Amino acid sequence: MKSYARELAVAAVLGLLLVVLAVWAPAFFEPAPLRSLLAREAPTLVVACGMALVILTRQIDISVGSQFSACSVAAGLLAAAGWPMGLVLPAAVALGAVLGAVNGALVAGLGLPSIVVTLATMVTLRQGLNLARQGEFVNLPDGVQWLGLGQSAGQGMLLLVAGAVFVTLALALRHLAAGRHVYAVGSDAEAARLAGLRPRRVTLAAFMLLGACAGLAAVMNVVQSPQVQPLAGSGLELKVIAAVVVGGVAISGGRGRLGGVFLGLLLLAFISPALTHLHIEAYWEKAIQGAIILLAVLADAGRKEDSP
Amino acid sequence: MTRGAELIRAGWRRHEVRLLAVLVAEWLVFYYCGTSVNRHGVVVGFGTLERQGDILRHSCEIGLLALVLTPVILTAGIDLSVGSLLGLCAVVFGQLWHDAGLSVGAAAALTLVAGALAGGLNAGLIAGLRLPPLIVTLGTYSLFRGLAEALTRGAVTYTDFPAGFLALGQDRALGLPVQAWAFLAVAAAVWVLVHRTMTGRAFRVIGFSPEGARYAGLPVRRTLALAYVLAGVVAALAALIYTARIGQAKADAGTGYELSAIAAVVLGGTSIFGGRGSVTGTLLGVAAIAVLQNGLATIPVVIRLNAAGEIAGLLTGALLLGALSAEAAAKVLSQLRRRRQSAPGPNPVAP
Amino acid sequence: MSPVPLLAFEAIEKSFGAVRALRGVSFELRAGEVHALLGENGAGKSTLIKVATGAHAPDAGTLVVAGERLARLDPAAAKAHGIACIYQQPALFPDLTVAENLALRLEPAGGWRRVRWGERRRRAEALLRQAGAHVPPDREVRELSMPEQQLVEMAGALGAGARIVLMDEPTASLTQPEQERLFAAVRALKASGVGIIYISHRLDEIFALADRVTVLRDGATVGSRTAAELDEPDLIRLMVGREVDRLYPPPAAPAGEVVLDVRGLGCAAAGVHDVSFTVHAGEVFALAGLVGAGRTELARVLFGLTPADAGEVRLQGERVALGSPRAAMAAGLAYVPEDRRRHGVVPELPVAQNLTLAAHRAIFPGGWLRAGPEQRCAAELIARLDIRPAEPAAPVTSLSGGNQQKVALGRWLATNPRVLILDEPTQGVDVGAKGEIHRRIRELAAGGLAVILISSDLPEVLGMGDRIGVMRGGTLREILTGGTPAPAVMAAALGRAGKGAA
Repeated sequence: MKSYARELAVAAVLGLLLVVLAVWAPAFFEPAPLRSLLAREAPTLVVACGMALVILTRQIDISVGSQFSACSVAAGLLAAAGWPMGLVLPAAVALGAVLGAVNGALVAGLGLPSIVVTLATMVTLRQGLNLARQGEFVNLPDGVQWLGLGQSAGQGMLLLVAGAVFVTLALALRHLAAGRHVYAVGSDAEAARLAGLRPRRVTLAAFMLLGACAGLAAVMNVVQSPQVQPLAGSGLELKVIAAVVVGGVAISGGRGRLGGVFLGLLLLAFISPALTHLHIEAYWEKAIQGAIILLAVLADAGRKEDSP
Repeated sequence: MTRGAELIRAGWRRHEVRLLAVLVAEWLVFYYCGTSVNRHGVVVGFGTLERQGDILRHSCEIGLLALVLTPVILTAGIDLSVGSLLGLCAVVFGQLWHDAGLSVGAAAALTLVAGALAGGLNAGLIAGLRLPPLIVTLGTYSLFRGLAEALTRGAVTYTDFPAGFLALGQDRALGLPVQAWAFLAVAAAVWVLVHRTMTGRAFRVIGFSPEGARYAGLPVRRTLALAYVLAGVVAALAALIYTARIGQAKADAGTGYELSAIAAVVLGGTSIFGGRGSVTGTLLGVAAIAVLQNGLATIPVVIRLNAAGEIAGLLTGALLLGALSAEAAAKVLSQLRRRRQSAPGPNPVAP
Repeated sequence: MSPVPLLAFEAIEKSFGAVRALRGVSFELRAGEVHALLGENGAGKSTLIKVATGAHAPDAGTLVVAGERLARLDPAAAKAHGIACIYQQPALFPDLTVAENLALRLEPAGGWRRVRWGERRRRAEALLRQAGAHVPPDREVRELSMPEQQLVEMAGALGAGARIVLMDEPTASLTQPEQERLFAAVRALKASGVGIIYISHRLDEIFALADRVTVLRDGATVGSRTAAELDEPDLIRLMVGREVDRLYPPPAAPAGEVVLDVRGLGCAAAGVHDVSFTVHAGEVFALAGLVGAGRTELARVLFGLTPADAGEVRLQGERVALGSPRAAMAAGLAYVPEDRRRHGVVPELPVAQNLTLAAHRAIFPGGWLRAGPEQRCAAELIARLDIRPAEPAAPVTSLSGGNQQKVALGRWLATNPRVLILDEPTQGVDVGAKGEIHRRIRELAAGGLAVILISSDLPEVLGMGDRIGVMRGGTLREILTGGTPAPAVMAAALGRAGKGAA
């Protein structure tokens, strides 16, 4: 039977946090800063959706942070070279898909363990970027920031894009045959093969989609500031994996929904600004995030004991 | 074929032997490209004993983490939290000594206890409650680093440690850096544990089949717990050595070390799926990465580019990918070849 | 005489490394027949099934499906040719619902179409009814029992409109009524013109179902015969290539003192309650019952895998606490579990290390590994149990099922136990090795061991049990004497004589 226990639990904690903020720090809900906060997290949501796909197929990708950085730098350089954003965006998405395809080919084609493969590509990619850029920022020409729309319209645009990606992927996972194949492969790859599906192709596609999401997210991040940091994505992989896990996607594949991932991401994203608004030292952010991840796995353990 | 050739072929099939060949090749390249005589007629660069000692000195902390990750990975587990724990332990040590006014010895001892407790948290969740190690240690990865930052408010750095303590990280004893002796002692202990005791065999059995281990009456929980607690204690030891070498304790100590250590273990031939691997392989993996990183910094071209760290990281990633893919690709190729030779059906397959 | 056969194997060969699993297999399956495939373990039956479903590509030889010679067969192509397989271990998706499992099997492979959830559900309901399965389509498969999962597989084959159905020991874990239901489904399939390849070790099933029989020995076909022209000894002769004189060895000596005394044992988590019995030295105490009656659960309670919460256990008069496998081992209990590959042995580990795994306290004092004692212990057990190949360093995966079972048994003999619990020791083991295992069990009992033998094979229970305990609904209902006629044991297991089944 389907159970929405995890979604409800995360939503409850999130709700509690929002109530606390509403009572003690109503300034949190002022539209402009809140919109900025959400816009900053919009790229993360896009990457988290892709990561959920990969984890659903029982794999993991810890190189997305490096992919995100690489796509950011590439997008920045192309924009600085005078490419219109209409070309920069597909170029970044394509680069992300290619990087994802490398991981996917090594994992699905050669049957290597994904955690090791993506550890290696993460290090390679990041050091390659360091070597190429030597820490140098890319200065963006005018008109790139906020796509020339101005801050609030630009932020609204980003939220719209992230929402569209989220809704599309969530609907596809539930109502498209290909989405169900993702669950099937993650649940039991050998059974999927015997049922006539092609698990390798599904796995490769999941990695490529994650890469494309990282490329899109990179552009969504680039347009929010006048410069591109060469290592904008470091640490992104763990943040995203944490959101996916807190959202109830099983690390053993085949179980979980994007709705939970959305709630998990919001919860983790709100901690730091909430701490600031509640005048608690922000240094506790990472510790609290860690504690939330541990609570989420503990909740999984409790649920396991209920069913036979 | 002669017996000697057979022996060589059999040896070449062992991962450790191939890795040793890579290590020797690396060393020779750096010896010839990275050693020179300066204008005072003094030999400088890679070929000096001093530089070799430095390599040892700089690889001790990651080496220690790699050593204790070997049993963890043998049980088909993983510990992402060791780097963060190194940072937390460094901060705890600094606070105990500086703020609480304990003696260096007492502070160090309590730091090791703190490491054991932190490892015990992982152990309790993984061995006790049977939660997946990847996620548990992802959580503690964040938790431990977060605690380190909270304890120091992200800013405090502890310095001015007494010379006696700094000697642990900066002096030599009997011709080797002091910490190298600690590293060798831990290496010997882990080697004996993994290869010469029943507990070591239990690590493998659990890695292959945790249920099979339980049905054979092996102490599964205790064995798993031991691996994670050991990782915690040694991470604390690595924190002390790190603090002594750098001369300061900060919350960001050891950032990213967990990934370097895992890379060394996997490069050393230990399977991430558990069961297979050796401590010797891990030591060779650590050495291959350390020589690469330090050797590159002695090559003139690299010095001019000022990019030794980046190139070393790039090559480490490539080495890891190459080692993994070479074995897997050989397997896939031989399968393909066999299938083509005996393709069934009346229609010959066009090449 | 017959038109084009549905499926023909022509000189199929397949090797895994140095092992030649199939060395020239040829036979034909006709429409509307149940074709039994027989052979000892390791004869190559399961490999042949995997070739037919496209899971393994053959090294040589040809598959002909309805007259069409196939150059290549992958699972998708096999499905398109109407080949369906029901595996011993159902190949289902544990995290998905029954309806979705069926849908993934039956819907076209393409990914770019909408999922019609309502239609999936209705179709699943219809197919499950047809297969005689009372399973709600919205349940996740991980919550189903093994027999329920097999019925889901059957429903899948029915829905696929399969013309060729392969069944690999489908009754291995089914209860009698479930078996009857399965047989009815098989006969219905056959009547509709489907060809069925049926693998089983149970000869009575083969005579009940099969039209023709093909026997495999050492990866090659010995021959195909009509079932009507064969009797049981003929078949056994064909399979083993030699006469098997007597299946069950007689008890050697009268039973001795009471070794194990179980009183009111219960464990709520395992669904076992109020079990009392005794086992004597030198006795084989057989535990009969249907699947789900609680026999394996009782064994797990005794061995401390799911610790008891009621009652007491005495070993030679002394009360023992069985809170963990280690405590049970220390008390002198040994348990050879049902699932050999997951629990009985560690397949990747060498034979010698598997054999010494439970006895390491005696062999490695202080926990230090020592090669000499280990090799001596392994060599002795290999010789004593005639494990082949006699290669202590070979991984257990390279051994046949029967020899793996001997390793699982040998591991516990090394601990010098006083009570030996054997859970389905001959399941999936061929006729020749079966007789050998029975002889070993007798020898062990004659040596003074108290043996508890759990078996779903009624002839085995009757042939081996000095006394027969019958379980039903999680408790021991009756203890019958050896030599009780089979119908009486079956009636007790079903609860027909008197009280209704729990």
